[in-house]
Amino acid sequence: MKQAKAAMRLSAGAIKTFLLAGAAIPVYLIIKQALTPELESLAWPPIWLPHRLTLAHLRAVFAVRELRSAVLLSLFVALVTATLATILGLIMAYAMARRSRMRSAGMGALTAARLMPMIAVALPLVLVLNRIGLYDSSTGLGLALIHTAIAIPTTALVIFGVFANIAREQEEAAWMDGASLPRILLTIDLPQAKGSVAAAFVLSFILSWDEFGYALLVQVTHRTLPPLLYYYTVFGDVGPASALALVMMVPAVIAIVALRPLLGSALMSGGRR
Amino acid sequence: MPKQFRHVNPSAGESRPGRRSHLSLLTGSTLYSSHWLDLFISLPVLFVIVVAFLPAIEGIVLSFDHHGPSLANYRAVLGDRLFWRALGNNLLIPAASLALELAAGLCFALTLAGQRGKWTAAAEIAAVIPFALPEIVLLSAARYIFMPHGYLDGLLLAAGLPALPWLIPGRVLCWVTVTIVDAWHVTPVVMLILIGGLHTIPREVYEAARMDGAGPLATFRYITLPMLAPAIVAAVVLRGVDALRIFSTTLVLTGAEGVPVLSTYAFQLWSDEQEPRLAMAASVLLALLISTIALLGFIWLRRRQLLEVTP
Repeated sequence: MKQAKAAMRLSAGAIKTFLLAGAAIPVYLIIKQALTPELESLAWPPIWLPHRLTLAHLRAVFAVRELRSAVLLSLFVALVTATLATILGLIMAYAMARRSRMRSAGMGALTAARLMPMIAVALPLVLVLNRIGLYDSSTGLGLALIHTAIAIPTTALVIFGVFANIAREQEEAAWMDGASLPRILLTIDLPQAKGSVAAAFVLSFILSWDEFGYALLVQVTHRTLPPLLYYYTVFGDVGPASALALVMMVPAVIAIVALRPLLGSALMSGGRR
Repeated sequence: MPKQFRHVNPSAGESRPGRRSHLSLLTGSTLYSSHWLDLFISLPVLFVIVVAFLPAIEGIVLSFDHHGPSLANYRAVLGDRLFWRALGNNLLIPAASLALELAAGLCFALTLAGQRGKWTAAAEIAAVIPFALPEIVLLSAARYIFMPHGYLDGLLLAAGLPALPWLIPGRVLCWVTVTIVDAWHVTPVVMLILIGGLHTIPREVYEAARMDGAGPLATFRYITLPMLAPAIVAAVVLRGVDALRIFSTTLVLTGAEGVPVLSTYAFQLWSDEQEPRLAMAASVLLALLISTIALLGFIWLRRRQLLEVTP
């Protein structure tokens, strides 16, 4: 029995080390490559600890126009997406929480949407966006629209849980006093759901910030960060690529720290591709 | 200002100023029967339909168009050997990736679930990191790790071993690398779902089993596994559909032609070959594949009565 326990503790230690290494190694390598001269990143045998440090690659992200505009475009698209998806998810969550028939209808629609492969939506979407002048637009509005559509299930589910738990008596009382439904939603429910509304905003921001497939197909010259990082990784240079990757990690890290208590439930509500 | 607002309030149609009479309750015009709720549900749903579903339908229509309605696009795609390779990979890699995620996730969950302490908390946070980081960042790092003369070859060299063709297309090893990288960033999520499931199993059940003299294997087989089934089903459902949509992993690691899957095949037809209608036919076939597998899985789960846990 004692032996079994010791073996258990040993394997648990090994697994923890494995998990920590699996997370730490890619992050470390990206940071190292972003901060060292390219000759070091491409050296053979590989150099594990930096010999010389440089800020040139990071500075390039904000100095070279192609890179800087990708950062700005990604930020803009993610902000538009987060705003739209949070508002639409909020009202959808409210309707789902208050009328059970809408709950099943809403869930059904969201599940169906999750089944669609990106490529089957993205290709014809490009034709539609082209028709209305939003394909490859410099504002990224077309991309924000599709990002919003795929973020709504997540925001609606995150907010839904809170709305379902808010007592209806308070709403009924306000209704008797003559308040309209939007007013009730804004003054009674919203303050109580502040936390999860903020979480929905952050999650949909991250979803858009990280999204690669649609961005690759919709923004072919005005690129956002993920497709740009793809091209730099595959065809370009290690230094700028890693600096881009480093910049891309920042919101994710902020989100992990800010949303740690909520991560469990958020993970349950959505996949990524 | 507030006074004025009250008078012109456009939403005052059904909410005339002042208190509602209790009669409104009797006449059936209650708070939640208001048309606002219809608006609240239909706005987001319409948005998704217009932005995602309508283009998808247009894509289906276009896939049947070749100077007039015809099956020529599908005939061309089905006659392409690359399509069949992509289809094979699109079945094998998700299946292998899902199996790997479940096996590793279950191992991790079983060893970590009973543990508490600083390092367990750190490991749980670390587990979330690969999932929370942008997928493309992780893939970029994976490419630098696995590429010829990359960090992994460097490790092998340090250990006195020869370099391996991790990403040379056509080799089994390349296929294994893609599967491992694909599983890498979601295994922790599977683990967290399973840990959640393990925490719902009451301790008394284990104690009762021990009193009855059940060994660790019997306990696992007859108690842990059946009681964990809902969590396993949730993980498979969540991840299975995602795994079938594999796109960026193979595109970044091997390029569209290295280890083709259906998404990269369609992408290549679209962007390199400039064959939009063929690309749409290929992506419609992928959508068909995913819906068929999802439907079969749904029916199977219904029959085994395992579905009550899934949304």
